[in-house]
Amino acid sequence: MAQSAAQILSKARAQAMPMRLPSWRRRALLIGLMLCFAMLLGRAVYLQGLHRDFLQQKGDQRYGRTLSIFAHRGMITDRNNEPLAISTPVESVWASPPDVEITPQQTKNLAELLQIKPGEINKKIKNNDKNFIYLKRRMPPEAAARVMQLGIPGIYLQREYRRFYPAGDMSAHIIGFTGAEDIGQEGVELVYQHWLGGKQGSRRVIQDRQGHIIEELEEVKVPQEGRDLVLSIDRRIQYLAHRELAHAVEINKAKAGSIVVLDSRTGEVLALANQPTYNPNAPTNLAVSARNRAIVDTFEPGSTLKPFTVATALEAGTFKPDTLINTGNGKYSIGPATISDAHPVGIVTVAQVIQKSSNVGAAKIALTLAPEAMWRMFNQMGFGSTSHIGFPGEASGHLRPWQHWRPIEQATMAYGHGISLSLIQLARAYTAFANDGEIKPISLLKLNEPPIGQHVISAQTAKEIRDMLELVVQPGGTAPRAQIAGYRVAGKTGTAHKLLNGQYAENLYVSSFIGMAPATNPRLIIAVMIDEPSAGEYYGGAVAAPVFSNVMAGALRILAIPQDAPASNIAPVINAPEVKESV
Amino acid sequence: MIDSMNGMMTMLRERGKIVAPPYDQALLWAVLLLLSFGLVMVYSASIALAEADKSFGHQSTYFLVRHTIFLIIGLLAGLVTFQFPTRFWQKMAPLLFLVGLALLVLVLIPHIGREVNGSRRWIPLIFFTLQPSELMKLFAAMYVADYTVRKAAFLHSFTRGFLPMLAVMLLVAGLLLREPDFGAFAVIAAVSISILWLGGINGRIFAGLLVMLVTGLVFLIWSSPYRLQRITGFMDPWADPYGKGYQLSHALIAFGRGELFGVGLGGSVEKLLYLPEAHTDFLLAVIAEELGFLGVLAVVLAFVWLVMRAFSIAKEAALYERNFSALLAQGIGVWLGMQSFINMGVNMGLLPTKGLTLPLLSFGGSGIVANCIALAILLRIDYENRRLAKGLPA
Repeated sequence: MAQSAAQILSKARAQAMPMRLPSWRRRALLIGLMLCFAMLLGRAVYLQGLHRDFLQQKGDQRYGRTLSIFAHRGMITDRNNEPLAISTPVESVWASPPDVEITPQQTKNLAELLQIKPGEINKKIKNNDKNFIYLKRRMPPEAAARVMQLGIPGIYLQREYRRFYPAGDMSAHIIGFTGAEDIGQEGVELVYQHWLGGKQGSRRVIQDRQGHIIEELEEVKVPQEGRDLVLSIDRRIQYLAHRELAHAVEINKAKAGSIVVLDSRTGEVLALANQPTYNPNAPTNLAVSARNRAIVDTFEPGSTLKPFTVATALEAGTFKPDTLINTGNGKYSIGPATISDAHPVGIVTVAQVIQKSSNVGAAKIALTLAPEAMWRMFNQMGFGSTSHIGFPGEASGHLRPWQHWRPIEQATMAYGHGISLSLIQLARAYTAFANDGEIKPISLLKLNEPPIGQHVISAQTAKEIRDMLELVVQPGGTAPRAQIAGYRVAGKTGTAHKLLNGQYAENLYVSSFIGMAPATNPRLIIAVMIDEPSAGEYYGGAVAAPVFSNVMAGALRILAIPQDAPASNIAPVINAPEVKESV
Repeated sequence: MIDSMNGMMTMLRERGKIVAPPYDQALLWAVLLLLSFGLVMVYSASIALAEADKSFGHQSTYFLVRHTIFLIIGLLAGLVTFQFPTRFWQKMAPLLFLVGLALLVLVLIPHIGREVNGSRRWIPLIFFTLQPSELMKLFAAMYVADYTVRKAAFLHSFTRGFLPMLAVMLLVAGLLLREPDFGAFAVIAAVSISILWLGGINGRIFAGLLVMLVTGLVFLIWSSPYRLQRITGFMDPWADPYGKGYQLSHALIAFGRGELFGVGLGGSVEKLLYLPEAHTDFLLAVIAEELGFLGVLAVVLAFVWLVMRAFSIAKEAALYERNFSALLAQGIGVWLGMQSFINMGVNMGLLPTKGLTLPLLSFGGSGIVANCIALAILLRIDYENRRLAKGLPA
């Protein structure tokens, strides 16, 4: 009603006043404005309803990130669960230059903690074009925590993982190392990559523009953690083996060397070391030092192979340990070639052929055997085929088929020439002698129970060979220096000229010794190989045997293996000059 | 006279039943509600920016505190404004317009005006920076309303009615485009033309004006690469989403993420430094993301209601032959309506990016104060209407 009054009023005045606002124009304008707003609502419906999937997908592209969730790489331990390879968290310090606020004093402190120059920090944080710049990578977490305690805005940490090898160079060849992305490059790290390496998981997150995670989306792929691996290695024996080998290589000025320690009952590798070695925490000069020579390199074993020739003869029943053989004046001609002993031994028993390492004796025995029988023995002992421990580049050695053997070849193979194998193959073959004829498969992993091996010779033959090998370290043998106080030792020396371009080099040798203890009930086999000793001595009994006895003595003690001889069993070398073996 | 007496009697009887309030309570509450809502949203949209940036002292409340201060200043300014009768503004209109022009000139002078992102729009004062174009919107509305009333007899004439106005407006346009502040120009042009239209300008002149405006716009856009860039960016933000289309594409994503109910207050991802100007020009995008379509609907309806209220107040004033008040009320309505429409249209990709805030909601001191003053004038016009309805002097 108020309006009607007002209308009346306005009508009354309208006639008097010249101006009257046309109301249709007001309505038209209002309708126009309302149409604009209606358009907005229509657009909102389109954006927030119909078009939203497209827009949300675009948004996800902008700030959705798939972040990987680190899968912890499994730990590698020795058989007593001592760590050999562990993944440790490290922190990388980074800065977002536009956000950094720092005083000169703080810069100085920061530089000190990061161990870089203050000028370098200033240069990096002045770079305002970037939102992310590393100041220092892979710092120990404690040091990184101290950096954060400075409380400088714009400086952050990023967690990473780094593989750490507490044993360092001492077990480098077994363990190997990992490369970028935490993938195994060498050794067990490479062989058991599938076991140790976890599968990285991922999660979908939304990040703000500075990279902070602000929302976890539901798409999570749970990481598959890597599994731990327990090796057959005994870290204490490994250390001993590494130390003694390094010492021997040094004093003999040798080019290289290898040592393998086996549990003769199970075939487990208790230690394996090579020289030269490297630090897996910072691998350098890998071309030379990364070779796991005990596994990937072959050599002509020389006299260490004679026991297999004799074993074949004993198995054939044509010889007994006390059968006499005339080695004459130490020269034995087969066709144009002549086999010789360095020190003629005359008429000796089969056992003495081993003890004094007579080439002529071994050749004469071999030539009474059928090539096929000898080949089968060697083949069963694993020569010419890999020992299947799974290392890349594992050598199989060389054993030619018996059909093509000429007599001279058969004769030289009897004392370990014209045949090649790796040190680990040789060590494994000796498990047959240690285990009453049963050869064990080799294992780098700790076993819960001894594996079932293959019976390749009779227990009788194995026993007889062990007795012969015991003579080697006795006075009158080639390696009295292999003796160990309180234990009876059985072993064999080997000294071979090196093959150089198909020719035997006159003054380059490979010296070796392989043996077992306690001889009455063998528990450990140790094979030592020293490549090119050049400090004067080169006989296996002089160069390799001391390494054997030191490591064996220590290992027996570490494993608390009962003694089988009085502690005064050692025959001094002075009283019993060692016999120089034939090369 | 008898008719009018009867009307009075009816009115008095009505008054006995319903005690009519002396001012428009609904409008006041709507404005206070919008201002409060704006405060909440400005805070939400600015936290990340304030915390991240050194120049804001890494203080999450940097913008909250400042916006609150602006609101208090705005409300005080509104309270003061409300005390002045409409007559006063009509009398002062030409003078205020001159002051506005002077400020627009001042802002262009180096060392007085401050340049930000290639635009010279601000005059730094001791406590805050003044944006003359925001005040000019109000002064222009007053001036054009006064002009239209004064020249009512000549509005059909091109030379006497239209040409002086055109000359003045071209001057204002020239100054604004020098800054450049294309958004303010668009609003002032819309307000001025609307008032002329409502004041009864000759239909043919009006049509000619529109044609001229359109050709002028096309020429401006064509002549200035930076405007052309904005145009192309708005046509298809996905063609260059990390370059020209960056801001708009992020605004659109915010709308898409919001859906019907939004991701929840405070939950916006876009405001986390992805969407530039989230607390000012692109506040609606944050509202859309956090409160969804319902939030957008509420904001749009609030402005629809404001515009309709302003027009109904204008209609009332027209009934009392208070033409200046009527035209000014509508001018304020068109201002709020056009600026909110343009801002929201920009947010949604309907219009090219302008650099206009959302009235009453966005962060920005001059804008908030100017809006408060304008709404206080609107309330005053209504207040005077009510007094006249009661038979009291305006």
